[in-house]
Amino acid sequence: MRSGISVTTNPPEESETPSEVSTEAEAAEVSGFPDATALAERVAELAGADSWSADFGNAKVRIDQSRWVEAITDVRDGAGLHFFSFLSAVDWSNEVAVGEPLEETVEERYEILVRLSSARNNDAVTLSTDISKTDPRLPTLVGVFGGANWHEREASEMFGIEFEGHPNLSNLYLTDEFEGHPLRKSYPLLSREIKPWPGMVDVEDMPSTENTEGAAAAAVDASETEDES
Amino acid sequence: MSQTLDPRAAAHVSEVAVSVELQTPGMTINLGPQHPSTHGVLRLVAELDGERVVNVEPVIGYMHRGYEKLSEVRTYPQITALVNRIDWVSGFANEIPLMVAVERLMEIEVPARAQAIRLILTELARISNHLVFLSSYPLELGASTPLMHALREREHVLELIEGVTGGRFHPNFNRIGGVKPAAGGGSTQKKLAQDLPQGFLSETAAAMDRMLAICDDMDTLVTGNEIFQARTKGVAVVPPDLALAYGVSGPNLRASGVAFDLREHEDYLPYDKYEFDVVTGENGDCFDRYQVRLEEVRQAARIVSQAIADVPSGPLQAKVPRVIKVPKGETYVRAENPKGEMGYYIVSDGGRIPYRLKIRSASFSNLSILPWALKGLLVPDIIALLGSLDFVLGDVDR
Amino acid sequence: MIPLVAVEINFYLLLVLKILAITGVMLGGSLPIIFGELKISAHMQSRVGPYYAGGRWGWAQPMADGLKFFQKEDLVPAAADRQVYKLAPYLLMVSTLAVFVIIPFSPDLIAADLDLGIFFALAISSLSTLGVLMAGWSSGNKYSLIGGLRAAAQIIAYELPLVLAVIGVVIQAGTLSMVGIVEAQIDMGVPFLIGGQAVAFVIFFIASLAELNRTPFDLPIAESELVMGYLTEYSGFRFTTFFLAEYAGVVAISAIASTLFLGGYGFWGLDSALFGPFVLAAKVGILAFLMIWIRWTWPRMREDQLQTLAWKWLIPISLANIMVTAIFKVVF
Repeated sequence: MRSGISVTTNPPEESETPSEVSTEAEAAEVSGFPDATALAERVAELAGADSWSADFGNAKVRIDQSRWVEAITDVRDGAGLHFFSFLSAVDWSNEVAVGEPLEETVEERYEILVRLSSARNNDAVTLSTDISKTDPRLPTLVGVFGGANWHEREASEMFGIEFEGHPNLSNLYLTDEFEGHPLRKSYPLLSREIKPWPGMVDVEDMPSTENTEGAAAAAVDASETEDES
Repeated sequence: MSQTLDPRAAAHVSEVAVSVELQTPGMTINLGPQHPSTHGVLRLVAELDGERVVNVEPVIGYMHRGYEKLSEVRTYPQITALVNRIDWVSGFANEIPLMVAVERLMEIEVPARAQAIRLILTELARISNHLVFLSSYPLELGASTPLMHALREREHVLELIEGVTGGRFHPNFNRIGGVKPAAGGGSTQKKLAQDLPQGFLSETAAAMDRMLAICDDMDTLVTGNEIFQARTKGVAVVPPDLALAYGVSGPNLRASGVAFDLREHEDYLPYDKYEFDVVTGENGDCFDRYQVRLEEVRQAARIVSQAIADVPSGPLQAKVPRVIKVPKGETYVRAENPKGEMGYYIVSDGGRIPYRLKIRSASFSNLSILPWALKGLLVPDIIALLGSLDFVLGDVDR
Repeated sequence: MIPLVAVEINFYLLLVLKILAITGVMLGGSLPIIFGELKISAHMQSRVGPYYAGGRWGWAQPMADGLKFFQKEDLVPAAADRQVYKLAPYLLMVSTLAVFVIIPFSPDLIAADLDLGIFFALAISSLSTLGVLMAGWSSGNKYSLIGGLRAAAQIIAYELPLVLAVIGVVIQAGTLSMVGIVEAQIDMGVPFLIGGQAVAFVIFFIASLAELNRTPFDLPIAESELVMGYLTEYSGFRFTTFFLAEYAGVVAISAIASTLFLGGYGFWGLDSALFGPFVLAAKVGILAFLMIWIRWTWPRMREDQLQTLAWKWLIPISLANIMVTAIFKVVF
């Protein structure tokens, strides 16, 4: 009955050990993240990229806007990253209408993120490029990854980025009459303008938490950590 | 209507003339946003020629709640409550990648016991999600009885989840650095209260036996049914390369024959301690998508059975600051959710609030294949395909 | 002159009585089946089924449902073809009711023992196609239209195997009269199901499921695809009429199948005149249970698969069945 289904066995990497003994070791192994430096370096070379980083297990390669499509094609074929995870954008802005402003001044720009991964191992890389805020446009990736279609439509309506050559760059979520690009930092969250987010009271610093390190030591037992949430 | 003659048809001019005369405009039909088979508020504008789909335009966004924007005014612990509602069928599993991402940025080591509880509940959420699929899919093909059988068994799983977390669908149980310490007990007993309720392990073991039993029931009731096979085998085949390019993930991707399971490859929960099989299909048709999920229930039950046999003792939470401030940095953590790859790309500026939180939900990408996959299908096949993709509109629209 | 008037009065009185009796049989037959469907489906799905309306086992639930429907507003969509829309349910009802006329409950208890009994039944039940098509067309709704067209295509396709399956029985019995067919089976000592027409019975049963639009052939009302197909726009009394007609159809087809294949009112050792109606009711109950069982177990077929089944399998097999029956009839 299950003829159509094949299974590949995933053997456990270690035999079961008494839990008390290995608690610390396992915890360390699990929360640690894979080192992505080698991958980032390799992908940067394939993409002909200027800079890359591998912080927090996130291999991130910055591509120049002019090489966007070809670099991603090269990475897809060269590194075997055939799985299109997502495409999105970050609005790097010094003045924000919502949330907390950045601590340091940054260059005003949109950063486009594309996440690709392999379908064989845990190789995965974030490719990014910066585009100007005055004329946000970028060639479309639809020809490289079919899945980019909807992601680009989303980024287009949310950030107002124009993806050149996209077959149908109409709104995906919002109505056609909707004005503005909601995920831009300059776009206010209107309901919060009228009334501040009531949950914010919970987050106000408590007197005893000025020294966060001290609080960390106190937060061992269950009761206190629950309060914070 | 002007008609250029196909050279092959030139020999039968008279027949062509008749067919031109009989040509009628296609019918445009709106499936949804309120339709029994669209799992919420998906709308398909389908151009039909008879019962065959000529062109289809999925319209989404009826459920768009703007979680990415809302996240920009909420602290990290508060976002947990939001993300529960993304894929409401498996609420617990939505929290995991966010928690792991924050913990990675804060470099927190989660205690082994919390990890194990997270893993057990994630797999229970997977079983619950797949049982919803197993119940609704035959219903969409016209068989209403499996619905009741599978939902009856799901109730046992939901009770287990409720027993631990207090919530059936939206547990909001994860805390940064671990899991919520005490379910119940009141303010005076907080320190004594238990994390897992009494009898949880034995009840889970019994429930897992029931899960295996319902899988066998589904095999005899649904899988072997000739009509079910006729309706699903060879219908709406998604080739593996196309699935990858569209970002189709999870059971849908594995049904196309790609043995890619983030539980095996990604390091977000200690799955490497347990033995399980990655289930793949051969053809990528609706039948394979159904069977992969059926088999995954068995595998999930297998993982849970192993996990409850050996839940490590120890604290439930790591030491975390009272006010969660996430160091400056970016990371992306993805997890194998019941519906596919669920991930959060966090851009943090060192504050209590994320500067940007990109939510990568599985159903969005899974559904983006629709315009391609629906072309040329019959109306009943639309339903067979929609059901087999197992999407939830909250997971599509976010 | 006077006797003539008396005869005429008698004729009309009898007609009214017969119409009332048939309506009563139709209602009395379909309500238990509706209730049975509720209860049987509930037990198949590990539910309890109707519980509160009516005392024991919720026996009054079908009636409560009916009353509820009567209270609902009778909606006619603005885009509907009003006359046709209003007429459709009654046409369907009449075509189903008319079938009851030729069903023999005992050798004498029959509204009209026509010489062409079974022929009349098949002819008049085909009218239901018209009712469904009218409902689908006049609703002014695309789902209804697709449902109506599906129903028409399906009923036309399955009318053939239905008729061809019956022809085998007719050849073996040597008569078209319903009473004659039952008597032929009683004379033979075994019903035709055992006595040579088993294949015809299976074909007849499958085709009748399709005629009744019941699972696995419920494409015209396929809830998950077409919302409710040709019934989508109907509400209130007209919906009840459709609903009752569906179950009356179950009773009618089961009764015809019982008469043709299961020996009708006859049963070994029981007096037909006395026990005939009960024997027939029991046989109808068994067939109706089969239909309910199938409905709550199987998924729905697709239009092309349904047509394939009819044209490529059922019709050739029933043709072969006719040939074999005819050869046996001539040789023996």
